[in-house]
Amino acid sequence: MSNNTSTIANNIDTHDQILHFPKDGNPYLAANEWLIWASSQDEGGLPDVELGHSSLRKILVPFSWWIEHHHEADIQAKAKNGQIAVWFAADDDILKHADIIEEGKKVWPLVAAHFPIFRDGRSFSTAVLLRDRLQWEGEIRAIGDVLIDQLLQGARVGFDSFALRPDQNLDVALKQFDLFSVTTQNSWRGKRASLQAH
Amino acid sequence: MYKYDHIDQTLVNQRVAQFRDQVARRLNGTLAEEEFRPLRLQNGLYHQRHAYMLRVAIPYGLFNSKQLRTMALIAEKYDRGYGHFTTRQNIQYNWVTLEDTPDILAELAKVEMHAIQTSGNCIRNITSDAFAGVAADEYVDPRPVCELLRQWSTLHPEFAHLPRKFKFAINGAKEDRTILLCHDVGIELKKNKDINNGELTADIYAGGGMGRTPILGSLIKQNLPWHLLPSYLTALLRVYNRFGRRDNLYKARIKILVKALSPEEFARQVEGEWLHIKDGDDNFTQAEWDRVAKHFTKPAYKSLPALTNEQVLNLANESDKSTQQSFARWLERNVKPHQIPGYASVILSLKPHGTVAPGDATTAQMLAIADLADQYSFGELRATHEQNLVLADVKQSKLFELWQEAKKQKVALPNVGLLTDIIACPGGDFCSLANAKSLPIAKAIQERFDDLDYLFDLGDISLNISGCINSCGHHHVGNIGVLGVDKDGEEWYQVTLGGEQGNAAAIGKVIGPSFYADEIPDVMSNIINTYVAQRNEGESFIQTYQRLGVTPFKEAAYKDKNEKAKKKELPESKAAAGDAS
Ligand code: HEM
Ligand code: SF4
Repeated sequence: MSNNTSTIANNIDTHDQILHFPKDGNPYLAANEWLIWASSQDEGGLPDVELGHSSLRKILVPFSWWIEHHHEADIQAKAKNGQIAVWFAADDDILKHADIIEEGKKVWPLVAAHFPIFRDGRSFSTAVLLRDRLQWEGEIRAIGDVLIDQLLQGARVGFDSFALRPDQNLDVALKQFDLFSVTTQNSWRGKRASLQAH
Repeated sequence: MYKYDHIDQTLVNQRVAQFRDQVARRLNGTLAEEEFRPLRLQNGLYHQRHAYMLRVAIPYGLFNSKQLRTMALIAEKYDRGYGHFTTRQNIQYNWVTLEDTPDILAELAKVEMHAIQTSGNCIRNITSDAFAGVAADEYVDPRPVCELLRQWSTLHPEFAHLPRKFKFAINGAKEDRTILLCHDVGIELKKNKDINNGELTADIYAGGGMGRTPILGSLIKQNLPWHLLPSYLTALLRVYNRFGRRDNLYKARIKILVKALSPEEFARQVEGEWLHIKDGDDNFTQAEWDRVAKHFTKPAYKSLPALTNEQVLNLANESDKSTQQSFARWLERNVKPHQIPGYASVILSLKPHGTVAPGDATTAQMLAIADLADQYSFGELRATHEQNLVLADVKQSKLFELWQEAKKQKVALPNVGLLTDIIACPGGDFCSLANAKSLPIAKAIQERFDDLDYLFDLGDISLNISGCINSCGHHHVGNIGVLGVDKDGEEWYQVTLGGEQGNAAAIGKVIGPSFYADEIPDVMSNIINTYVAQRNEGESFIQTYQRLGVTPFKEAAYKDKNEKAKKKELPESKAAAGDAS
């Protein structure tokens, strides 16, 4: 990886654990395999992960970069190999590229959505649209400025893995998901409790 | 009145626990202030000039005596013995500590209250008509819809970090008492036999708001069946969440998006989004309606004869002339007609002349008012947009008795809707964003216009004061608005005229250069004198203003300034150009 890594890359580069919270399971931590690549800062092209950056074997590329490059032979090969997936920037209008996402479903092991700053909620809507409109059933990872107090909302809109900002306390993070036993609106995880009330 | 079921109660209790943990992390340093800020704001906790301020929600303005006693005791135990009722049907405490806040919230939770989403960039406390369910001009009781939407918006995950704050108002009466058009979304409820078989429907207005760029909302959807509100509003908020501007704080409100796109294009985009979710299971069910609506049935009204004001006065049977007259005034200004014969709604004025701040109530007042609610109004109360309190269901035969009690608490001033029923924000006395003070201006105006006979003769005039461009005091929609501005570190006041709330909502116009604080009472006198001199029989201030236009009022407002300028300039030149423009 080049020296001029973006903050995006840094956020995850130094983080080796990912918090997973599967839809019908319990939260757990697991080693991170995915390098996040912010193409704009790297003129050398897609980094060659085989050449050895730590344990990161696979690359999350910007969706905009994927749109431009996914027809190239080596990209296709890597993608078929399960080594490439995409991340959506907060201002990517995913609905404009539903066809590309439909194709991507066949090759991406996961997708990610980026939080440029924790109080920017655009990626919450991105996750909802991926789940509800585009029927993405695989993993959706929250990346970027992901803080403990966003986990609950993220989990409800459709995220099931979280690359927390490196300074966050993972033990506290693991305890976030059972803070509420009731909800008053539907979410990806279930119907509102208020439907059962009488 | 709505009563929490175990789901509501569990949610609020768990929210207290969550916030307690967030505060603990803040206090032990693992949560940075910058990151704590949006979290505490979503729980109504501001950091203001002197201390923390806690804003507690009074959903759609409705509360009961037990809740008021808790509010009173919180003021006593954790604050300085008073609370402040705001224009958005919240109560604010100005002097709380961060450490105490979780305990305050826990005490509130015991009486089915909370501070969830009273601030921050999320869906705020939903406001409605303070006379909902009792107003004589009501065609739909908006409260079941308010409550359903309160639940729907509470801790909504997708809309937890919108570009900016988001405010709903809901109205269901002929007269709009919510300033529907000054909200991000205004929902007008209707029941019309020609539409949707007479089912409850909603018209949706979007893109209104005050602040730096005041804009009135536009109608973007008509005749939406009530049960589709969640999916439609989800579509609307989703468009705003995705495409609202986040680069500039002042351009992040939905009003800017609606204006930039045009209301038609915004509506089209919402419709496009809605198409995909309108038949989904986000929508309200009849069972949900039934569960919620059963709480908003009528209280146990007696069958009573309807009385005229004259009969009420006679019942009072008072020989003392002066008392007769002030009671008559109170009947005229502070008592409103009711749907049920023999009953009336009473407004308790929180604007006695010369008090600290419009909307303030002390612990003792709150406790006494809670007793009045129990004794005279089925134990329920309302908070109004104008920062007063309402006892909605008072027997007409008890009005005189209630008036005497209210007088003891100094909440019986008959100034509702008059010039001294001022809406004012806390301004520079409390608020860290203020450019100028608001409260001393309100006080000075009340002192200048202290003669009730005169005020009565002036009739309906709204005067609203904000300490800065954020417009907490709603100066834009006051017939007369006063806005604190800062010029080279000095406090100045800009005057607007012609604003209006209600069905004919309008944004006032700035009349010209700003004034010093000590000029304001004279400026007000000059404006008012112009009205008195020029009005036709029976014409209100705003009607006279609309007939004559701004010019005579503007000239009057700058009269003293221009005379001073003339005097100074006289030796050299005769022409003293006014700086009014
Ligand atoms: C010291 C206490 C207060 C603080 C720190 C405060 C803070 C704020 C802030 C930051 C805004 C700006 C949001 C924006 O940019 O649009 C705002 C707006 C507003 N505040 Fe306050 N406020 C305080 C007291 C009040 C009070 C007492 C009231 C009611 C009497 C009030 C009612 C409002 C309203 C209605 C608006 C929005 C105007 C609009 O619709 O755009 N605030 N306040
Ligand atoms: S208008 Fe300004 S000064 Fe007044 S309370 Fe709001 S933010 Fe503070």
